[in-house]
Amino acid sequence: MEEIQLIAGLRAKDRKTTEYLYDKYSRALFAVISRIVFDKDIAEEVFHDAFVKITKKIDRYDESKGRLYTWMANICRNSAIDKLRSKEISQQTKTNTIDDLVYGMESQSGTQEHIDGIGVKGLLEDLNDDQKFIVEYIYFKGYTHSEISEEFEIPLGTVKSRVRAAIQVLKKNVARI
Amino acid sequence: MDIQSYISSGKLELFLLGELTEREREEVLSLAKTHPQIQQELDELEETMFAFDNMTGKAPPQDLKDKIFSTLEPDFILKEAPKASSAPEQTKVVPISSPWKPFAIAASIAAIVASGAAFYYADKYQERNDQFTALLQDQSVMADDLNQVNQAYDEKDAQLNEFVAGNFKRVEMRGEGFDMQKDAKVDVLWDQNASKVYVAANNLHDLSEEFDYQLWAIGDDGPVGIGLVNSGEKLTLQQMEAVAQAGAFAITIEPKGGSKAPTMEKLVVLGEVV
Repeated sequence: MEEIQLIAGLRAKDRKTTEYLYDKYSRALFAVISRIVFDKDIAEEVFHDAFVKITKKIDRYDESKGRLYTWMANICRNSAIDKLRSKEISQQTKTNTIDDLVYGMESQSGTQEHIDGIGVKGLLEDLNDDQKFIVEYIYFKGYTHSEISEEFEIPLGTVKSRVRAAIQVLKKNVARI
Repeated sequence: MDIQSYISSGKLELFLLGELTEREREEVLSLAKTHPQIQQELDELEETMFAFDNMTGKAPPQDLKDKIFSTLEPDFILKEAPKASSAPEQTKVVPISSPWKPFAIAASIAAIVASGAAFYYADKYQERNDQFTALLQDQSVMADDLNQVNQAYDEKDAQLNEFVAGNFKRVEMRGEGFDMQKDAKVDVLWDQNASKVYVAANNLHDLSEEFDYQLWAIGDDGPVGIGLVNSGEKLTLQQMEAVAQAGAFAITIEPKGGSKAPTMEKLVVLGEVV
């Protein structure tokens, strides 16, 4: 389905289109949330609310301001960050790291998950320590680039160019896998 | 407008991560319209981010999907609701022949009117409710924007305070004496007491993807790398790492990410502290 059709179907509150959206994007969007919110039940709750929000807010999504996935991913990311910073789960000190992701996936029993685990490792290959740090804080801890700059006293311009460099590595790895 | 250096500034990534202010977003969007390379890079980056998310995640459990769709169920039905308003009219054809007939007719007319009104007001209510939700969302978007603007303002304000209160010395670095870029010119602003260093690139050529400019403070212990200089951000102040003691500053071209020691053959500019 083309993105235009998809959006039109969602605006018409069509059930089939909504299911298509779910099937195509739920895995990625759930990943955006789960890597920030560690607790499985809370992550599911956040995803439930975020997905409902997406279908309700679709009338206000403006195609000229960016693609659909980016818009949805930002809704999910912001919901996860809001949850993380709310009182409810601030007591939990455990946070996700890249290593949790790589080794967590590998320890899964299913074959599918096992293949994914190898894929994840391949994806994160070639990131140097600086870039790994950036991916971890932006993707897994929900930091903004200015927060990283402030908290770790790294100049803003350096953070920006490291964000760029890190995503370029991911881009290369995605294309390769 | 140098498209390549705009692309490599990291702004497009921040755009996709939702970290730009409304004004900066507009800038990216209008440049993407006029420059296909920028649009293409945005598309590729979005693909990458989607692929990364998709490959690193597990699918949410089936019962969660069921729960979500049962929450959404009323919304799917809502669109078919207007058809239901024709139903009460069928009550008219019920044949009644008794003294109660006029009352029955009156009652059914009243029922039709009442249910018509109910549908009408339910519809109005829904409409108002949607408008209200939309307003609330508008407000939260505006609050977000304001927040970002405030943050940017505070940053600039703090920077300005630093410059007014501090004791900044301007160290001009030039490329005339070297083979790399004769016309290069970069200023270092250094407050020795506070150890703060800013750099402003007046003229620096753009580098290919594999290289970065690295700033060095040259003191008694030799050169120390104090950060990467982004040639794409011309004439803005970029903060570098702290330096308390230096006799000169210099910039070299290093492999992406910088080096531990400067590559002297690739010295671009040098300026002594006077």
